Amino acid sequence: MSTVLDPAASASGRAHGSAHDSAHDAAHARAAEPYMNPYVAGVGLGLVLLAAYVIMGRGLGASGAIGSFVSWLTGEIAPAHAEGNEFFRGYLEEGAGHPLKAWLVFEVLGVLVGGFLSGLLAGRVRATVEKGPRATVNARLAWAFTGGALMGVGAKLARGCTSGQALSGGAMLNAGSWAFMMMVFAGAYALAAAMRRQWR
Amino acid sequence: MNAPFFKFGAFGDETALVVAFVIGIAFGWFLERAGFGSAKKLVSQFYLDDLAVFKVMFTAIVTAMLGTFYLGWLGVLDLSLVYLTPTNLWPQIAGGLVLGFGFVIGGYCPGTSMVGAATGRIDAMVYVLGVAAGTFVVGEAFPLIKPFYESGFLGRLTLPEVLHLPYGVVVLLVVLMAIGGFVGAEWLEKRAGSGAGSGAASGAAKEASR
Amino acid sequence: MLEITTTRANHLVDPSLHVWAWQIPVYLFLGGLVAGMMMIHGWFTFADRHRRAESVSQLLPALGLVLLSAGMGALFLDLEHKLFVWRLYTTFQITSPMSWGAWILIAVYPALFAALLLRVPEPLATRVPVLRAWSAALLADPARVRFVAAANMTLGALLGVYTGILLSTLGARPLWNSALLGPLFLASGLSSAAALVHMVARDGAESELLARADNRLLTAELAILGLFLIGLVTAPRVHQQAAALLLGGPFTAFFWVGVVGLGIAVPLFVQTLAVGRRVRHTAVAPVLVLAGGLLLRFVFVYAGQVSHYGPF
Repeated sequence: MSTVLDPAASASGRAHGSAHDSAHDAAHARAAEPYMNPYVAGVGLGLVLLAAYVIMGRGLGASGAIGSFVSWLTGEIAPAHAEGNEFFRGYLEEGAGHPLKAWLVFEVLGVLVGGFLSGLLAGRVRATVEKGPRATVNARLAWAFTGGALMGVGAKLARGCTSGQALSGGAMLNAGSWAFMMMVFAGAYALAAAMRRQWR
Repeated sequence: MNAPFFKFGAFGDETALVVAFVIGIAFGWFLERAGFGSAKKLVSQFYLDDLAVFKVMFTAIVTAMLGTFYLGWLGVLDLSLVYLTPTNLWPQIAGGLVLGFGFVIGGYCPGTSMVGAATGRIDAMVYVLGVAAGTFVVGEAFPLIKPFYESGFLGRLTLPEVLHLPYGVVVLLVVLMAIGGFVGAEWLEKRAGSGAGSGAASGAAKEASR
Repeated sequence: MLEITTTRANHLVDPSLHVWAWQIPVYLFLGGLVAGMMMIHGWFTFADRHRRAESVSQLLPALGLVLLSAGMGALFLDLEHKLFVWRLYTTFQITSPMSWGAWILIAVYPALFAALLLRVPEPLATRVPVLRAWSAALLADPARVRFVAAANMTLGALLGVYTGILLSTLGARPLWNSALLGPLFLASGLSSAAALVHMVARDGAESELLARADNRLLTAELAILGLFLIGLVTAPRVHQQAAALLLGGPFTAFFWVGVVGLGIAVPLFVQTLAVGRRVRHTAVAPVLVLAGGLLLRFVFVYAGQVSHYGPF
């Protein structure tokens, strides 16, 4: 399945099989593959988005799936409270009979699988913490959580994240999405200098 | 051929979920291929030495935009049936700003954090927990923020309508802008020191140096 | 759980008659898993692996006993009149798959115990020294060893297949009413067992062997599922309506994404690459196979109870 989509990976002259005698940890020593050309990847991504529009009449997304999950969990723990809250109720009523049977939830499941498969084939699956040389692991994880929380807030306000609003809405020339997209870049560049220590 | 197929009743809600899964696999595949499972690569965009985020995003936008435009023009795709989030200007601007902060602080956006988590990045997993927490907080505070959340409502609004230009002209402008952006991006990357094809090379170098 | 009452105001009757809850799919899964483990153990014993120190076959009987008991515990929880469970063993109804099952389960225990004796785990041997003597007596005669192995394989196969046959004899539930359900459950149980044993095996060669076997079993499972669906779709209207539950109906997403996608296709793909040395082995594929096996049982038990003779 994947080699059809990715001629770059199969055509690369990666040596495999020769030095592997241990059955289990065969590819540990293999270096990670270089990334795909960004323009080619962009075209691929664009085609996937186009397929979503042509098949489903909707774009991609990610933050909505987390909204569904959080609403479902809240509903399980405190059903009356969730039902009474307009935000959670919206997600609870959305899916095909169950809040977790929402389109984005299944899409995100697919993203997990696709990301894993691509990473596995490229030798890029590794338990690690991404951070700059000057940052500590604990600091990085704290920032990751904070950044995620901010994202959660921002995505709800904007009705989407970079996948849902910027990418999908952008391709359809949605005015709000373009405004959103520009603000995302603005906000990130504004804070980049302050966060330099974490990344560089 | 009548597209979008789902809106014309080609299949039901349950099958749509299976379609979602398959599309998601392709989505995650390309995100990881581009290297977006790595926070360091994503954030390099904002330090101006690896602008893959810009290149991938805008290539994707242009591809899908051209695709929907031409399919719409051919009459194959009924654009009026495609779902567009209505514009709520103020929360979307505020949300974008906050999201930008979150991006450079956290290192991911929700979609890429899934790819990161799937390839073993613990910070990505923590990030997802953060997104869940933030979402929960918004949910709890929703009655308070609701007025702001619904402010600036402009309905279903597209750029051609805002700019009072035909759809095709805006498409052309976006393509030109994107090409200009790509040229600028290549120039910036070259200036940052790695030379042509820096995206792939610096990506591999960063991988190897870990 | 409460069985049927004469008034319809009973959640077990509306919207459709469904009496079995989570206990049954859990038991079916564990039963199939143990069945597969028994067959693998028998196979390994015929290949003399029970003598090797590093072989995983020494783990299997003990693990099987634990898992099977958990499964039977779930089954016991399902019974309405728990105190009368002993009555199952006062008779043998040759035309009742449930009676067959009850007796097979009872026979499985001594078979697993005999398998355990082939290589008694150290902690147990120190506490119960007589086991060592029994073990020695068993190992002394190769014919006895072969008998134990054959018994394990046979009872394992029966255990793996009877649950499917049990469901398939229920004509009033068209989704189950296929002769392929027995082989399907057997293949699923074997593949789950192969995945589990592959994960816990410490010997590289054994682990690799099990991964290859698992790939073949997963492929067989896909084929059987395909034939099963074809059989339903080309059968009378009731069966077509039952198949529709999985082909556009309320169980479509869980079946195709959960059971077929995540439970069979994705792990098959990953494990094929791993066996072909393109990627390294991870726990992802076996875990997905196990989860998929459990989900398969859940989907079949729940969807089967929704399917019934008559228009929806």
